[in-house]
Amino acid sequence: MDDIEGKILSNKKIAPGYCLLRIRLSRSMGAVRPGQFVMMKIPGGEVFLRRPFSIYEYQQRILTIMYKVVGKGTEQLSNAPKGTSVLTLGPLGRWFTVNRSATPVVVAGGIGLAGMYALIKKLQNKAPIFFGCSSKDEIALLKDAMRFHPFIATLDGSYGFKGNVVQLFNKHLKGLNGKNVEVFTCGPENMVKSLKKLIEPYKISCQVLLEERMACGLGLCFGCAIKTTDAQEPYKRACKEGPVFDLWEISL
Amino acid sequence: MRSPVLNASGTLGYGVEIEPLWGVETLGAYVTKGLSIKPHHGNLPPRVWEERHGMINSIGLQNVGVDRFFDVYFPFFKKKRTPIIVNFFGFTEDEYIACAGKIKPDRLIVALEMNLSCPNIKAGGISFGKEPRMVFDIVKKVKAVTKIPLFAKLTPEVKNIVDIATAACEAGADGLTLINTMPAAGFDAKKRNIPLKGGLSGPVLKPIALRAVHECSKAVSVPVIGVGGIMDAMDAVSFFMAGARAIQVGTATFIDPYAIPKIIKGVSDYLDANGHKTIDDIVGIANNV
Repeated sequence: MDDIEGKILSNKKIAPGYCLLRIRLSRSMGAVRPGQFVMMKIPGGEVFLRRPFSIYEYQQRILTIMYKVVGKGTEQLSNAPKGTSVLTLGPLGRWFTVNRSATPVVVAGGIGLAGMYALIKKLQNKAPIFFGCSSKDEIALLKDAMRFHPFIATLDGSYGFKGNVVQLFNKHLKGLNGKNVEVFTCGPENMVKSLKKLIEPYKISCQVLLEERMACGLGLCFGCAIKTTDAQEPYKRACKEGPVFDLWEISL
Repeated sequence: MRSPVLNASGTLGYGVEIEPLWGVETLGAYVTKGLSIKPHHGNLPPRVWEERHGMINSIGLQNVGVDRFFDVYFPFFKKKRTPIIVNFFGFTEDEYIACAGKIKPDRLIVALEMNLSCPNIKAGGISFGKEPRMVFDIVKKVKAVTKIPLFAKLTPEVKNIVDIATAACEAGADGLTLINTMPAAGFDAKKRNIPLKGGLSGPVLKPIALRAVHECSKAVSVPVIGVGGIMDAMDAVSFFMAGARAIQVGTATFIDPYAIPKIIKGVSDYLDANGHKTIDDIVGIANNV
């Protein structure tokens, strides 16, 4: 892990409000595991703090990040042309650990896919994948994941199942019930909440990738607190003890 | 101290977190996260907010408590032979006294830094640092229970910081740390709300800190540690010239995790390039024009 300079190779809009960024790093950042992230900034830009981004893909010093334009930082980033210098600190955080004795299942909502794709790729076709988004406009997020045949839900029904991804997952849950299932998930807070409600009675284990506003990304500032169910330690750091947490240890 | 460059309390975790990048032995001394007599859980998220030239935080002094710090983390500094400054706070006067009294003198503890200035807790912190009389009383009481040199960390949000500084010194403070963050509010224009109120830090704070250091260091005879918006070596040099004997780096580390080692090198290069042997040659040389 280190702070490494890079240059933007491409920064494409893949769907309205979503981009795919490819960066060539000046040197290797070492082994990257699914669920890890980088703290990134464009030197000399308007943005004061770095921003955390999930690592979508990393190989041969090429770092790929899928992001949604949500505020000042991502807005600035979305306008950065090819050749722009960036600083990437990473890889950071605790990653997804795949338990070989369980059947993995991936549930991703919207841009939550950005943090799940590395895991999806690692699991190859071993895991059923459930993906949900608002409408067919966002199906482009699946460009690389489509080859693993995800089950797809759109809220407006313009593609695949009409409804949310948790409802879609529920339809398949009975078929999986006999097996020892482990769910891996990332998505909007409401999605994670309803997923939690759905799987609670089945006592299914679940690892969730969370996000929170961060300042340092290194565990220095305690800014990215995640509420836990542990009275002794009610806040953990998304950047250090996370961003991947045991769903049953966090309070939503 | 080996170097006059320190971290600001709460901006370098428990010291161990920076190890993958550089070691705490690089610092003149490691300033601990603010410690309290009992563990404290801190504030609800969101805890950070970005401003154009700074940030607002409302961590709320989350910490493992003074006992656990000495059990779990202090051995790490002993092993690395790195001196520490123990920053501490209380919610009541008794908690300040109990916390300071608990810390046993050690060769590696160069000072206690008493936080009289945190804007993020409802009781304690800043409320003890606003009136000269209150500052005098609490510093005197804490001073009576410890043999370790005592620094008072002050808030700039007072009528006259020189009066506060003078009161702390009259009560026996062995030094001052100037300044803590300024109370501020973030605003989310999209959501039309105030996501958090907390302490403002970063370059936006530097001129305020510099003024406090300049005025207080002229008024008191104890050493002053300057802190507030120091982003690079020239910022550090300007604080030395304004009267600081040491400086602390906080927010800069979040933007560049190597900010501290870079500032240490930059200060040393500046001294060499200008024919100074030590920072003593430049401390307090700046006067009003």
